[in-house]
Amino acid sequence: MDKIQPLIDAVINGDEDKVKVIVLEGITKGEKAADIMNKGLIAAMDIVGGKMEAEDMFIPEVLMSARAMKAGVNALQPHLTKDDAKDLGVVVIGSAQGDLHDIGKNLVKMLMEGGGFSVIDLGTDVKPEKFLEAVRENNADIVGISALLTTTMLSMKNVIEALESAGLRDQVKVLVGGAPVTKEYAEEIGADCYGADAGSAVRIAKSLLYK
Amino acid sequence: MANICSHQQALNSPYAGKVSEGQCQKLYWACLEILERTGVSLHDQEAVDLCKKAGALVTDGNRVRIPSGLVEKAFSTVPKSITLYDRAGNRAMQVGGHRCYFGTGSDCLHLLDHRSGKRRRAVLKDIVEGMIVCDALENIDFVMCMFLPSDVPQEKLDRYEMEAMLNNTTKPVVYVTTEFFGCRDAVKMAEIVTGGADTLRHNPFAVCYINVTTGLRHNKEALQKLLYLSGKGLPFTYIPSAQGGVTAPITIAGAMAANYAGVLAGLVLSQLKREGAPFIIPGWGGNMLDMKTMVQPYADPQKRGQAIDFGHYLGLPMFSLAGCSESKLVDQQAAAEAALTLYSDVLFGGNLIHDVGYLESGLSGSLPQLVICNEILSWLEAFMKGIEINEETLALDVIDEIGPDGQYLDHPHTARHFRDRWYPKLFERSNYDGWENKGGSSLGERAVGNVDKILAEHKPEPLPDDIAKAVRAVFE
Repeated sequence: MDKIQPLIDAVINGDEDKVKVIVLEGITKGEKAADIMNKGLIAAMDIVGGKMEAEDMFIPEVLMSARAMKAGVNALQPHLTKDDAKDLGVVVIGSAQGDLHDIGKNLVKMLMEGGGFSVIDLGTDVKPEKFLEAVRENNADIVGISALLTTTMLSMKNVIEALESAGLRDQVKVLVGGAPVTKEYAEEIGADCYGADAGSAVRIAKSLLYK
Repeated sequence: MANICSHQQALNSPYAGKVSEGQCQKLYWACLEILERTGVSLHDQEAVDLCKKAGALVTDGNRVRIPSGLVEKAFSTVPKSITLYDRAGNRAMQVGGHRCYFGTGSDCLHLLDHRSGKRRRAVLKDIVEGMIVCDALENIDFVMCMFLPSDVPQEKLDRYEMEAMLNNTTKPVVYVTTEFFGCRDAVKMAEIVTGGADTLRHNPFAVCYINVTTGLRHNKEALQKLLYLSGKGLPFTYIPSAQGGVTAPITIAGAMAANYAGVLAGLVLSQLKREGAPFIIPGWGGNMLDMKTMVQPYADPQKRGQAIDFGHYLGLPMFSLAGCSESKLVDQQAAAEAALTLYSDVLFGGNLIHDVGYLESGLSGSLPQLVICNEILSWLEAFMKGIEINEETLALDVIDEIGPDGQYLDHPHTARHFRDRWYPKLFERSNYDGWENKGGSSLGERAVGNVDKILAEHKPEPLPDDIAKAVRAVFE
């Protein structure tokens, strides 16, 4: 596709309209939808993710890129085969039981969606049973739990225990994050990974699923 | 005690201003419009009912639109100044106007251990040591618990924090609790220390720090604490923490309008619950999250000054924030940010200035950093004093007596006044050889030494045994 670089630039610049135009042009010219998706949209978001982690981009800019990427995916949708249309994975996400804070969780959600994951958002103050139910119903690949308070951080462990006793622990990767959470704590409770900030969550999620 | 007050006498001591009275009025009107037009969501039934009974419009169960008249009425009953006492009942601080007092912050997850130099999770003993250092430092006027103890039962950690403060310093306390019941227990402990509910109300020495989700969204715990403490006539701060760019507009004015609308909603509730209930408002405004890292910058220059101006305009006591840094170390950035934020707060005249000694945007704390801040405050106290110009200080007779070729070193006038000048305790003024002979240390190294010395020598006045036991019995 001759317009791959302009497409990547348009996603990085958050130019929703331009992304749509280039995507549809490509389709008209007979480009493969899967190529546009992988070499254009997803490749662009990989660059965005790297820039964000390097603090080269502001978060509102990243979200504009994610929105442009989504617009591109929507334009591509009718042309994708069932296989192409597959998400990178399904993420069930929520704030730990007792925690009403959701800034970090919402940010991770938006970035995961922008990164090509399908996200089921359970909101705030999520009980372990609710996580369990959502994992079952959506055949999730990843469970993301966020906590801002040291008191609610404790309930992250309950989610992992609930997954274990339901026999679902091996099916999913558990990713935890939030201000008081540390790498050591994540290891202690048996989570698969700890994300220090929203920016690294997408990269970590990909590395967990596609080693 | 730090004796710092801006605007002490007209044109005779330093002070600063950032927004005009007209701008404050615009901001105030914006808050009133938000309360009437957009309203706030109150996640507590008693709070909703109180507003409704007073004439507020309630929709969707808890969306409350508050008429301006209720705000204006609240201003006529709320105290404009609050006198706080120490643990022994001595008058300690008159909180209001342009008077500045300084204290630590609360609940840092980590401690930068001055013994090992390493960052680690904080434990209860760190709070105890922190309080001993605070008790000894002459420019720390009130305490907050500094650290979050990881080695006590986590559902009761706020009770252990309160106990450690009561046991290890006589200075006034600002306490934070996670849930409502923790607040009730903290009040019980404070009542035991003063000898009952009436004495605590008349000689309050403990202030509750209430955090509210955002200006327009008031969580249940915050409202429960507000109503309980107002009902008892006990002082508390009511601090909505909307973050510009995420839960409020990114602009300073917009973030402040949304946040202070919430402050005024809290003010109305406190006065509806009990007319004359003391109420403390925030003295920083226009918070944002760093749009690159999503970290909340504490030493952000743009959230300083204007909120203190607005607090003076509203005429209410303020809880302010300075002496903090985003740095992960006790380094040049930490010293610069601590000094700049303390400097701006004293110039503007914030009242209860907390978070002194905070590092890593509130996630870690350091005792040497606190000691360095104490020295900065000593410098500022000297700087902020007005200058006397009179016969004795001009010393025209002495100048004439000594003449152009004489010297002043052994003159009685010098003997009378040389102690009026400021001398550092921690900052280094020796010549190079003198400094080298004393060990050639950096400020950070001297601060570590100072912490060790205080911990080895300072013994705070303990609580009587029976009182200490009764305090423990509240939560055990």
